[in-house]
Amino acid sequence: MKKFFIFLAALFFTASAHAGTKELYFYNWSEYMPDSVLENFTKETGIKIIYTTYESNEALYAKMKLTGGKGYDLVVPSTYYVSKMLAEGLLQPLNKKLLPDLGNLNPMLLDQPFDPGNTVSIPYIWGTTGLAYNAKKVKPGALEAWGDLWKPEFKGRVLLQNDVREVFHAGLRVLGYSGNDTDPAHIEEAYNVLVKLMPSVRLFNSEAPKMPFLNGEVDAGMIWNGEAYVASRENPDIRFVFPREGAVLWLDSLVIPKGAKNAENAHAFINFILRPEIAMVISMEIGYATPNLAAQKMLPPEARNNRTVYPADEDLANAEYHLDIGPAITVYEKYWEKLKAGR
Amino acid sequence: MRLRNPTKTLAIGSFAFWLFFFVLVPNVMVAVVSLLSRDESSFVSLPFSLESYLRLSDPLYLMVFIKSLNMALVTTLVCLLAGYPFAYILARLPGRFRRVLVLLVILPFWTNSLIRTYAVALILRTNGPLNWFLVDLAGLRDTPLDLLYTGTAVVAGSVYVFLPFMILPLYAVLERMDPAYVEAGRDLGAGWLDVFFRITVPLSMPGILAGCLLVFLPALGLFYIPDVLGGARDLFIGNFIKNQFLDARDWPFGAAGSVVLTGLMGVLLLIYYRGMRRLGEKVL
Repeated sequence: MKKFFIFLAALFFTASAHAGTKELYFYNWSEYMPDSVLENFTKETGIKIIYTTYESNEALYAKMKLTGGKGYDLVVPSTYYVSKMLAEGLLQPLNKKLLPDLGNLNPMLLDQPFDPGNTVSIPYIWGTTGLAYNAKKVKPGALEAWGDLWKPEFKGRVLLQNDVREVFHAGLRVLGYSGNDTDPAHIEEAYNVLVKLMPSVRLFNSEAPKMPFLNGEVDAGMIWNGEAYVASRENPDIRFVFPREGAVLWLDSLVIPKGAKNAENAHAFINFILRPEIAMVISMEIGYATPNLAAQKMLPPEARNNRTVYPADEDLANAEYHLDIGPAITVYEKYWEKLKAGR
Repeated sequence: MRLRNPTKTLAIGSFAFWLFFFVLVPNVMVAVVSLLSRDESSFVSLPFSLESYLRLSDPLYLMVFIKSLNMALVTTLVCLLAGYPFAYILARLPGRFRRVLVLLVILPFWTNSLIRTYAVALILRTNGPLNWFLVDLAGLRDTPLDLLYTGTAVVAGSVYVFLPFMILPLYAVLERMDPAYVEAGRDLGAGWLDVFFRITVPLSMPGILAGCLLVFLPALGLFYIPDVLGGARDLFIGNFIKNQFLDARDWPFGAAGSVVLTGLMGVLLLIYYRGMRRLGEKVL
């Protein structure tokens, strides 16, 4: 029996046991990295990348907590999950000496409140959650604010993200509150507003929100700017709007978990994608904005000047980052469930 | 005790090992977690409390359970109504056809059910093949039907995924049934309907019960079919458990929901065994 336990333990920890000097365990969002970039890195350095993906920060966080930050060398949490993981001792400090190409990054996206001085995180991709509509069905100007989603003309034709924080962001902003509000009374108010939106909602989707737009299932809804940009390349009638009350801003950052066995390789990879020509390929393929200013300059003009991907200052006037709201998330979750089940 | 047959010991041993570590231990862990308290940075912490179960008694969660039960029940009924005639005809076909058709029933299992669910979504969507047929080809409608992201789509998808689980046990029972019973009934002057409802159906009851159970139990905990085909607009037990564990990071609450679901399934299994025993006395 004892032997079997050892065998079992060995099975569970093969990831760490195998970790030599020529490997990199990279855990990233799905559809968030072109294969060619991974292949070129291996070709150049001989470091083999073991690439796996996840769909939500929550899934990444749960896995990191359960393994104590072991098993992966490089992961990509969004915004406040960086500070949460840092505070809980799941991340290791970066060695800036190994990242000579840091100077390419946009200073506007550095030194954020969730990681002052960028001691543990390097911006990878940034974007916003806003609105999109199909110009074949919706008159331009009819959808300019979160509040416009409640218009009767959109009945049964609206898409919302399947994400409690993003949906409640719309409800809270319509009422003039912050999307990070933790006051239960305000959350309840937002719920009461969102209940009235439910008859308009055709579906919730945060895997590939562009698909229902492209398939003609919805005419208006909540979507990430990069996803809307990719959709508009396929169907120019799909247009992105920065909602007047304020979009959700997010920044996904590269971090190295505390228990990473190949931290040096992770640094090498971060520096590899800091190269302007590599960052440009990534931005072009997945459709989101690169924080790499040198790469942004290399983009073809129609991508570089696209206001959906690279918004003007006034587009982001009321935009805000989501912050960690602590235990208030259970209040949100309860109203989220009520929103879906209470009909 | 001397080991008589090493292969047998190994087989039973590894099965027992599997059951212990991958069924019993995780379930006990879930039960223990359901009695702990939520913790912001380590998921669970002491003290022990029954709070999660008390929160479950909220009418909101009762509604979630009722919705799930209702969905599972409708799926089971449609599967039974569609599966019974299928299995009945299948059992009466000549051997060669029968083997091919049974293979065709099993064939979809070679593809992951999530992929098959996405395939159903593809067929039902506004500009998908079904609407193309209805509007362009047959001209039955002027505008495409909104089929996807409705309750009907959820039931259709669930029925599609679970139908083989209904057909196979029914087929097994109907195929074994002695045709002499039916002949005797006919000889004694009963009509076809009479024979069907008073002989065939009662004799196939073990298959009906087994099929219903095999469909109902997994349908109860389902979450990806409502998400993909229903547009995630409804909340079922499966969604609730997943949300609590992942999004709200409220493990005790999610675990409590899971324990109640397991308990409910246990009760249904118990009813099934009672029913089978009673049938066993009558049939055999």
